[in-house]
Amino acid sequence: MKLKGEMSMLNILHLEDIDVAAICGNLQTKKDEAPQFFIQSPIVVDCSELGDQIAKLDFVALKKGIEEVGFIPVGVRNIPQDMTATLATNGWAVMRESISPVSKAVEGKQEAVAQQQAPRDTSYDANTQATSEVQPQAALVDIKSVTVDRPVRSGQQVYAAQADMTVLAPTSAGSEVMADGSIHIYGPLRGRVLAGARGNESARIFCQSLQAELIAIAGRYQLLDELDTKLIGKPAMIRLEGEKLIVEPLHG
Amino acid sequence: MSKVIVVTSGKGGVGKTTSSAAFASGLAAKGHKTAVIDFDVGLRNLDLIMGVERRVVYDFVNVINGEATLKQALIKDKRVDNLYILPASQTRDKDALTTEGVESVINELKEDGFDYIVCDSPAGIEKGAFMALYFADEAIVVTNPEVSSVRDSDRILGILQSRSKVAEEGGTVKEHLLITRYSPDRVEGGDMLGMDDIVEILSIPLIGVIPESGSVLQASNSGVPVVMDKESKAGQAYMDVVSRFLGEDVPMRFIQAEQKKGFFKKLFG
Repeated sequence: MKLKGEMSMLNILHLEDIDVAAICGNLQTKKDEAPQFFIQSPIVVDCSELGDQIAKLDFVALKKGIEEVGFIPVGVRNIPQDMTATLATNGWAVMRESISPVSKAVEGKQEAVAQQQAPRDTSYDANTQATSEVQPQAALVDIKSVTVDRPVRSGQQVYAAQADMTVLAPTSAGSEVMADGSIHIYGPLRGRVLAGARGNESARIFCQSLQAELIAIAGRYQLLDELDTKLIGKPAMIRLEGEKLIVEPLHG
Repeated sequence: MSKVIVVTSGKGGVGKTTSSAAFASGLAAKGHKTAVIDFDVGLRNLDLIMGVERRVVYDFVNVINGEATLKQALIKDKRVDNLYILPASQTRDKDALTTEGVESVINELKEDGFDYIVCDSPAGIEKGAFMALYFADEAIVVTNPEVSSVRDSDRILGILQSRSKVAEEGGTVKEHLLITRYSPDRVEGGDMLGMDDIVEILSIPLIGVIPESGSVLQASNSGVPVVMDKESKAGQAYMDVVSRFLGEDVPMRFIQAEQKKGFFKKLFG
């Protein structure tokens, strides 16, 4: 088996008051609008707009009510620290807060957390986002940028996990530059370069002087021999189109 | 403040030992107390190049193992004051070198007031080469004008900046590029990499270019460091390297192909 931290789409129920009967009634109305879409859908309850009322909310009844409508209540988020233990015994998972325009309005401690942690762009692929009926919630993950300002020498490997990579120095023949996101290389690119290392097909490679041994995006690779020789030593951008790597001149 | 300088290259046969001997002799000739250590345990050569092979009693490994004191093992050069040689052991292998052992020897040399400690690295990227570069403050990377040598130098530069003690502590080892066995005529003919190409690929500052010269082989065989041959171009080029290392501004020499004398020039000089 494998245990991985991945993101899935979840419906978020933003509570505005604590009347369980009214909440479940509204939920039923929503469900009736698209019954096929919402069958046994997982749901997360967001309490960021409740304020002090949250202490009076009957979470046991809420869980039961949501189940009766035909959703699966998986967790709650944006709840005060002192309530987590009670909620856990009632069978609720407490989710890490997400930064959304709503949670930014939350007072105090949570706001500080939200400001430190910017949302990660979960929608590299614009198409996915456009076609999905429910907007994916941005997860609360530190956004990372990896910058390398020394030459990447033969035999060295640099890897930007869940981030884009910028290299400000030359990369040598026999070196490997990898990133889960896109890769930007401002010195001569002479080694191997692998963008979208974990399958991100919209990752791209940008370089000022293309002399790479091997280029790859999301596992599709190509050797320098197969490249259009007119672009060798020139600024170039590499992207994936279907199964094919497209190498284009990069105009500044 | 003593400085530890490693002379390294990755590839074998490019002139590390010749350069170590010449560089250390040059530093000593300029009045700096200098020790040169042979890290090529099992393939000892520095003693031959320095012409002290008949004076080796104790060696580097003996000192590390506590079988001899550093004073007993250091061989004082008879031609240049301030120059000392610490030979490698011929009967052991690289595993005899330990980080603690090498560190204690280097520290003792520092305490004895040596200005420069030159570490002559063996070829390769294994234990011996690693030990030679681990304590370095600065590195002279010896490269021949050919692609395999340039790539190996590139590799060793990567190791230097990631695995040396200075790098582990978050610093940078100061790098110098030394191109040896350079033949301007062959560069012009297109069958040898040019100086500028090598500098571009390795992107580190150039400290000198040593021309290919018969005097190097002659010097090696007679056990006289080539800098002591004031007539030879290679000797002069090495002396320039020493001057540049010490901060002097010396122009590069012997990098242009010699002008072919035309018919009339031959006739009339």
